[in-house]
Order: sequence, then C-alpha cells, then structure tokens
Amino acid sequence: MSQGKRFSDEFLNAFVDNQLASEEKSRAFVEISQDENLNRQVCELRKMHDLVQHAYAVPPAPPTSKDSGRGRARINLRFGVAASVLLVLGIAVGREIHLPTPDLQPLAVESVTTGNVVAAGNRRAVPADPRGNAGEAKESRVLVHVTSDDPARLNQALDDIEGLLTHYRDAHQGARIEVVLNGKGLGLVRADTSRFARRISQLQQQYTNLTFAACQNTIDRIKREQGIVVRLLPGVTVIDSGMAEIMRRQDQGWAYLQV
Amino acid sequence: MHKILTVAALMLFTLGAGLGVTQAADKKHKAVYHLNSADLETQKDVLRNSANHIAAVGKDNIDLRIVMHAGGVSMLRKAKTDVDLKSQIDDLKFKGVKFEICQKTLERGKIDYKKDLYDVRESDLVPSGVAEIALLQEQGFSYVKP
Repeated sequence: MSQGKRFSDEFLNAFVDNQLASEEKSRAFVEISQDENLNRQVCELRKMHDLVQHAYAVPPAPPTSKDSGRGRARINLRFGVAASVLLVLGIAVGREIHLPTPDLQPLAVESVTTGNVVAAGNRRAVPADPRGNAGEAKESRVLVHVTSDDPARLNQALDDIEGLLTHYRDAHQGARIEVVLNGKGLGLVRADTSRFARRISQLQQQYTNLTFAACQNTIDRIKREQGIVVRLLPGVTVIDSGMAEIMRRQDQGWAYLQV
Repeated sequence: MHKILTVAALMLFTLGAGLGVTQAADKKHKAVYHLNSADLETQKDVLRNSANHIAAVGKDNIDLRIVMHAGGVSMLRKAKTDVDLKSQIDDLKFKGVKFEICQKTLERGKIDYKKDLYDVRESDLVPSGVAEIALLQEQGFSYVKP
C-alpha cells in the first residue's frame, strides 16, 4: 500500500488526463508498469475517465476512498459537465422530434416593383441578396397534377407550368418540375387527342428540368374500356400509378400543386 | 451507487427531452389554400373552408394563406360589388388570414390591383402564385385545394 502513495491522486489523475510533462510522464510509465497496485489504480482511473467522456455511463467509485478529497472534487466537476451535456442533448433531441425541418419563418411577401424575386435565398433565416444566395440554395421540386380535360384549363395549366419554370430560371434557382397525368388529364399528352403537342414539345426542349409522367393505370383502363391503344407524345415517361407517384413524391418532400 | 447515477442520468436526459418538446409544441399550424378557379362557388368554398379550418384550431394557432392566381384573382374583383363576399374576406383578414395575389396574373390580365381589386396592398403581391405555393410547402405549409 505504501507503494501506492508514491504518487498523489492528483498526479495520477493528471497522468490519466494526459496533462503531464513528457519526462514526468515517462517516469510515471516506468514506475506504474513495475507496480501492480499502481497499475490497477491507473487502470481504474482510465476507465472512469473514458466513461465520463462518453457522458452516458456512470464512473466507478474513486479507486482510493481515503485521502481523495481533491480527486472527488475533480470527479464532481466532471459530473457537472456530463450532466449539462446530457441536459442540452436532451433538449436538442426533444426539439428535433418536433422539428424535422429548420424553423424558418415563411417569407414576407416581396415587393415586385423593387425587383425582388421570391428566390430560394430568401428562405434562409439571414436576409441576404436573393440572387446571390439562390445558386447555393436547395433545388425546388414541384409535382404538378393535371386532372382536367377542359382545353381552357389545360391551357392555363401549361401557362402555370411555364410560369413556374421561368420563375425558377430567372431566380437562378435549381428546380425540378414533374407533371403527372392521370384520369382525364392524360389527354394532354396523348398523341391522338392532345391539342397542345407543339407547345409541350417546345417546353420540353426549352427546359430539361421538366418531365411529363403518364399513368400506366389510366392507359390500361382506356385500353380495357374503349379498346384504344394509347400513344403518347415524344419524351413523355410512363409511371405505374399517378396516385402512387403523388404520394411518393410528397413523401420525398416535393411540393404538390393541382391545376 | 452505479444504478442511482444511471437513473439520475436518464432522468436528466428525459427532462431535457421534455423541455425541448414543450418548446417545440407551441408551433402554429400552417396551411396554404390554392385558388385558381374563376368559379364563384369554388371561390366561396375556399373562404368557407378557411373559416372552418380556423374555427377548428383557433385563430391564434394557425398561419393560413390563400394564394390566388389565374381565374382565382377574379374573386377580389367580384368582392368590390358583392357585399357578402366582401364581409367574408374582411372576417378572414380580421382572423389573420393572408391573401396573396400573383403578380404574373395581374400583368397578364392588365389588372390594376389598386383600382380593380378589393383591398389589396403591395405587400399582398407575390411574383408567382404557383411558385409561392411550392415555396410555402417547402416551409412546412400543408396544401389544400378546395
């Protein structure tokens, strides 16, 4: 036991915490490796050190219950730190549960006359030059659902889609627009019925970030009920189900818009 | 001793989590109503649904926007002469609803919001109604299309 007293608790703590000067440290290494008691003591201290560092588990009782007032004070301090870390961590986790997205204030409506555009940059909490920020901002993804076969409404729908595309282009903001066509809406991209073939082709050429997606279920239904094999306009992709696509995209964080 | 400390640590963590949740829970509901129809009945549906929505959650607990573009803007033209429509709009505004109008639509239709539309300020205008709806959804607003 007398050997154990060769180093004070404070010295051993400092050794474990790697706070010793290098000669002191090498001397301690030699001594400790030759002394089983001391070795065990240091081992215990190390273990506690690691546990406190992890801030979750509980450190073991100090190795020497007597004469360790200073060591204890040190341990208490560590407990304090660990407890604070836990509390803060808990608050963070608690908030996170309810805040999957950063808490951003919806943008104030911008005045158009001043040339401000509702660009993605404005979504950042820091109000900065929207144009400067827009390039770095996250890509906007919008699913546009077309359900009507009324030519006036389809015309309006194409106006809306084009307006959206030019908006993002002018704001220098990355965007993907997917137009989903099912039910009556499929008529917009049917080669045999669409009145808008030329306009759609123009839009496709002008904007590579625009996709038209036709619903396979609707195509199958038209075949079954009317015996018509639907042919689609060039560049129109086919998806298994329009409704499923709408759900999938919203799950992936896309905005949804019905026109 | 170990057990007590473990329990204490767990309790501390739970307390923290509880605090965090409480702080986050007082967030408002957010909803964007999409109005692009020129049909008066559809327009009245939007106003009625909004009013019911607010009644259901309480006016202090919701941030509700009505975004109008294309034919939807005509509701504010009608409101200049339709007293019933006007009072419904006033009532919603009183409850904190924000009416947002598409600047593109105004330009395309050569509409002067000061002369042609009921109670529109410059701050009610958005560059693109459709883009605004997408943007609001990115900010956590739920999309409603009556």
